[in-house]
Amino acid sequence: MYAISSQRRYWTFGSEKEIDELRKQQNQNFILKAPRPSRGEEVDENNLSQFYLTPCEEKVLLKSYELHLRDFCRRFEPPMPKCIVGTAFHYFKRFYLNNSTMDYHPKEILATCVYLSCKTEEFNVSISQFVSNIKGDKNKAMDIILSNELLLMQQLNYYLTVHNPFRPIEGFLIDIKTRCSLANPERLRAGIDDFIDKTFLTDACLLYAPSQLALAAVLHSASKEQENLDSYVTECLFQNATDKLPVLIEAVRKIRSMVKAIEQPDKSFVRSLEKKLDLCRNQENNPNSLAYKQKMQKMLEDEDDIELGVNTSYHLNTSETSDGIHDASMLSVE
Amino acid sequence: MDDQVCPRCKTTKYRNPSLKLLVNVCGHTLCESCVDLLFLKGAGSCPECNVPLRRSNFRVQLFEEPKVEKEIDIRRRILRDFNKKEEDFATEAEYNDYLEEMECIVYNLCNNIDVVNTNKKIEQYKKDNRDLIMKNKSRLGREEYELEMELEREKQLEADRKKELLQIEQELKKRQMKEKEALIDELMSSHADAATIVSDYAKQAEKIREESKVVPVTKNEFSSGVKFGQQAFLPVPKVEEGPLYTYQKPILASEGPQPPKVEDIETKGYINFIRAENAVERAGGYRSVIACQRALQEALQGLFHSK
Repeated sequence: MYAISSQRRYWTFGSEKEIDELRKQQNQNFILKAPRPSRGEEVDENNLSQFYLTPCEEKVLLKSYELHLRDFCRRFEPPMPKCIVGTAFHYFKRFYLNNSTMDYHPKEILATCVYLSCKTEEFNVSISQFVSNIKGDKNKAMDIILSNELLLMQQLNYYLTVHNPFRPIEGFLIDIKTRCSLANPERLRAGIDDFIDKTFLTDACLLYAPSQLALAAVLHSASKEQENLDSYVTECLFQNATDKLPVLIEAVRKIRSMVKAIEQPDKSFVRSLEKKLDLCRNQENNPNSLAYKQKMQKMLEDEDDIELGVNTSYHLNTSETSDGIHDASMLSVE
Repeated sequence: MDDQVCPRCKTTKYRNPSLKLLVNVCGHTLCESCVDLLFLKGAGSCPECNVPLRRSNFRVQLFEEPKVEKEIDIRRRILRDFNKKEEDFATEAEYNDYLEEMECIVYNLCNNIDVVNTNKKIEQYKKDNRDLIMKNKSRLGREEYELEMELEREKQLEADRKKELLQIEQELKKRQMKEKEALIDELMSSHADAATIVSDYAKQAEKIREESKVVPVTKNEFSSGVKFGQQAFLPVPKVEEGPLYTYQKPILASEGPQPPKVEDIETKGYINFIRAENAVERAGGYRSVIACQRALQEALQGLFHSK
C-alpha cells in the first residue's frame, strides 16, 4: 500500500530543490564537525572547498557510484531479480540524504545496500556467496559489509520496505491488455525496462509514486513504438477524475525529462574527486586508517573481551593490507 | 575426599575414618591429633612454614584445597577494614576501583606477593579511613542486630505455635478420658441395655470430634512477613474497559482510480493475462486472482500523488 506507506510519508519529497537542500545540509554538517587533519598540509579555513568536496562534487561522485551499483547488480552471480536492484538504489539514495560521502565512503555503503536489499527482498544469498562477487580481499569486504549493515539500517530509520515500480508495470500491462485495443503490448517491455533502469539513475524515485514511474515508463515505451496510449490514460484511468489529470501529466513529463537529462559523469573528473575524497574523508570510518584501528581497538577494550584479541578479524591486524590498492579494486568495476 | 591425608603424620581418611583435618590462618592443614600434640600449650608454630599460630584459631577444613581456607581467612580479615559500601562512593567507577584494589590485596596476601608493601598499604588505608571504618562497623553491627531481632521474633512465633498445638492435643486427650469415665459410670449405674449405652456414647463422641475438627486459622503471616488468609489478598484491580470493539471495514487508501473488484477481475477478463495457479499452489492457498488484484491495485495506487 504505497498510499499509507513510510516511503510516501518520509521518503518522498516535494521537489528536487528540497532534496538538494538536504544534501547541501549534510555536506555543511560534515565540514563543520569534521576533525581537522593533523598530518599533511594545513587546511585553509577560508577556502574549505579546496580541501573538502562541494555539494556539487558529491552529487557527481554519487552519480558515478550509482552507475557502479547498477553494473555490480548486473554482474551479480546468481542473477538477481530486478526488485533487489530497485530497493538497493532506494537505500543508497536514502542513505546519502542523511549522510555525507565524506563521512561514509560510497563504495562501502553501496555493497552494504545491495546486501541488505537481498535480505529484505528475500533473495537468499549468504555473505560468503555475496562477497565472491567482489574483487579484492574477500574477508575485508565481508567485514566492511557486516559492520556497516546495522549502521545502514539505522540511517534508514529501519524503514526497509520499498515500493518499486515493477509490480505496477505488471498491473498496467494487464490493464492495457484487458481494456485497451493496443496490439501486442508485450513488445513494450524492452523499452519499459530500459526506462526504469534509467530512472534509478535520477532522483525520480524520491519524488514520485512507483505507479507514476511505471506509467511514465509505459507511456515512454509506447511512444518509442510509435503507439499512443493517451486515450487509455484519459478514458480508462482518469475517466472519473479528470481534475487530477494535470498532476499526472506534469509528473510523467518531469520524469521523462529527468531521464533525458542523465549524463555520464566525466571519468577523469570522477577520478580526481576520488583522490580528493581519500584525503578529506572521515578517517574514523576508513578501515585502512590508523584512526579507525584505534577506534576499533578502543571498542574492543571497552568490551573487555580478551578472546577477541586472538580473532583474526581485520580490525586488529590490517597492517599488511593498508596500501589501499585492494580497496580501490574492491568492487568489480572499471 | 578419600585422599585426605594429614601432612605431618600421614594418616589418611581410610586408615582413620574419624580423621578431622584442621586449618589455620597460614593455610596449612593438620589433623586433629597432631594439633592436640603440637599445640599442647595453646600456641606454637606451623610445622610447614614456621608461622606462629594459636590453637584457638584452628578450624575444620571445609574445602578440599587448603588455599581456599587461607583465602577465606584473609578475606575475612581484610573485609573487616575494607568495609565501604557502594553508597560511600560518588560514582560506580570509583566503587569498582575500590573493589579491584581490595581484590588485589587479597590476591597478593594469598600468594605471598609483595607482602610487605601490601601490608603497608593496608595500614595506610586504615589510617586514612579510620572514621569511615568505625562508622561502617557500627552500621554493620546495627544491621546484624536487626536481623537477629527478626530471627528471634520468628523463633518466638514458632514456639508459640508449638505450645498451642500441644495444648490442643492435651485438651483432646483429657476430654476423651472424661468420656470414657462417664461411659463406665453409666454402665455401672444404669439399668438399660449395655449395648445401646455403648453405641449412644460412640455416636456422641463422633459428633464432638466432628465439631472440634473445624479449627480456626490461627496463623495468617509467613515468616517473611507476607500476610495470607482471607483479607490478606488485595482485590484484583478493576481494569478500566473502554467501549466495546466494533468492526469497521478497512478502507483501501488508494490516492488513485478505484481498482477493479475481485469478481470484476474474473468476469471482465483481467485474469486471462496472468498465469493460472497449478494444483500445488492452489493447495497452498494461492489464487492467481490475488496476484492479479495486487498488481492492478499497485498500478493504480498513487497515480494522483503529488506533494
